[in-house]
Amino acid sequence: MQTLTIEDLHVKIKAEPKHPEILNGVNLTINTGEVHAIMGPNGTGKSTLEETIMGNPAYEVTQGDIQIDGQSILNLPVDERARAGLFLGMQYPSEIAGVTNAEFIRAAINARRPEDDPMPIMSFLNALDETMATLEMPTDMADRYLNQGFSGGEKKRNEILQLMMIQPSFALLDEIDSGLDIDALRIVAKGVNLMRGENFASLIITHYQRLLDYIVPDVVHVMKGGHIIETGGPELALELEKTGYEHLGEA
Amino acid sequence: MWPNLPKIPYQRYTKTKTVGGAITVTPATLPLQSGQYAGQNELENWLLVDQPISRIAVPANLEMVSISGNGGGALVVDVADNAVVTIMEHWHSQGESLGLLVILNVGANAQVTYINDDQFHSQVAVIDRVANVGEHATLDWTVAGFNQSAGFGLLQTNLLGRFAKATVNVGALAAGKQHFGYTTQIENIGQKTVGHINQRGVITDSAHLIFNGIGHIVQGARGSDNQQENRVLMLSDGARGDANPLLLIDENDVTAGHAASVARVDANQLYYLMSRGLPKAQAQRMVIRGFLDAGLVGIDGELRQDLFAQIERTLLNGLEK
Repeated sequence: MQTLTIEDLHVKIKAEPKHPEILNGVNLTINTGEVHAIMGPNGTGKSTLEETIMGNPAYEVTQGDIQIDGQSILNLPVDERARAGLFLGMQYPSEIAGVTNAEFIRAAINARRPEDDPMPIMSFLNALDETMATLEMPTDMADRYLNQGFSGGEKKRNEILQLMMIQPSFALLDEIDSGLDIDALRIVAKGVNLMRGENFASLIITHYQRLLDYIVPDVVHVMKGGHIIETGGPELALELEKTGYEHLGEA
Repeated sequence: MWPNLPKIPYQRYTKTKTVGGAITVTPATLPLQSGQYAGQNELENWLLVDQPISRIAVPANLEMVSISGNGGGALVVDVADNAVVTIMEHWHSQGESLGLLVILNVGANAQVTYINDDQFHSQVAVIDRVANVGEHATLDWTVAGFNQSAGFGLLQTNLLGRFAKATVNVGALAAGKQHFGYTTQIENIGQKTVGHINQRGVITDSAHLIFNGIGHIVQGARGSDNQQENRVLMLSDGARGDANPLLLIDENDVTAGHAASVARVDANQLYYLMSRGLPKAQAQRMVIRGFLDAGLVGIDGELRQDLFAQIERTLLNGLEK
């Protein structure tokens, strides 16, 4: 079992040092085998939390720690955090011309392997074909440039394709359901559910209970004002759907 | 007269003497004839001194013509009306300096894919290419500028006939202490002509790369369109890049536009690639390759692989410093 621990995390935006902290004391422990959901009103720091865990250089940790299995990752650059087991399914994935999807995913897999032992090309292509079929993606998407000209839904599906191919220990998914129609939502959820198991954990940001009908979380957190104010089981999400966030006070 | 644009020291380069080299044409059945050509300006006249001019007539039934040259030279290529042909030029050089003049005449209704694989390694290279595009003809021109020389390239397209169309892509890689400038010009002369310029350059080390883009719609070229995009990416603190778009519009009923950027590698793209575990240097190489790829759109197959391998090698050298 692996554990991701967030301890008293305080975060600022680097470019805006005078702006108050976006996160002001987040505590969270996620073990592999668990799926956590984070809900909460807009602008409460949910994305900031996931971006900071991943190591986005735009954010600055002013206090607290992030650890994997007791080892702080705060001083690791983004790529080393990724190789340590983190994955961030982004809200707005970048488009990169000139690099095909397949080439990129293969490079990402090989970055985790010894230099003299890359994944054999045939095993890679078979795995890619199979995963794309699972996600009901047309095969030509493997040869298209990375996210270039993809629709919003295609980009989200492509994030899940990368997730399934890379097989990280901790998947941070930032509004992976936004902009998806109901069929795409079902497919994306299927992908995440296939990843579930004792070696996989996920932290899912969503605004809608609907996603959590498909990916049933073990734990639900509510974030407001830069920290977690309530934690419960899946029933908490259902409750919030009825009552909203208004009545939840600052903890 | 020299084009009156900033920052390319034309005169400095044309003080040296040029050396013409051997030119080979495939298929061998295509005769390389000695010909006549009257220089149209000071630069052409200079390029024609001591360089005999050769002429090739490309008939309508040929699909592929390959021209290879070592050193410089002067060449006129006449493409017959209605031809659908790819003309591939491979140039390389060593030594002190060279001058290259190529005039490409595209006949009416012809469709020409024109690819320049420029690998000039002489200390100085002066390149002047002029394409004259006839009525209803289409020119898709891609220049891979992988020179190590100092110097400049003039890429001039004259859209002479009505409905003539041209796209000119330039993908250039500048490294070392190289100082190189491209002036890419499209002149809309015929009515309803369409000309697009797309220049992409990557600069490492302490190299300096200049892209001048000139779109000129002359009076009477009604219904014409002229667009250009000039982008350079600087990879090191010592790298210098310039992108100078210039639109000269002498007719009212036209559309024209330009975009230019001089930038460093996009931090968001790097972050995205690195978030998947790619080390920074590898992520940088991917972003850069992708950027340059947009200037090499017409090139595929073996040449594409060669060029990409060259980009990798240059970047590996440049980025590790």
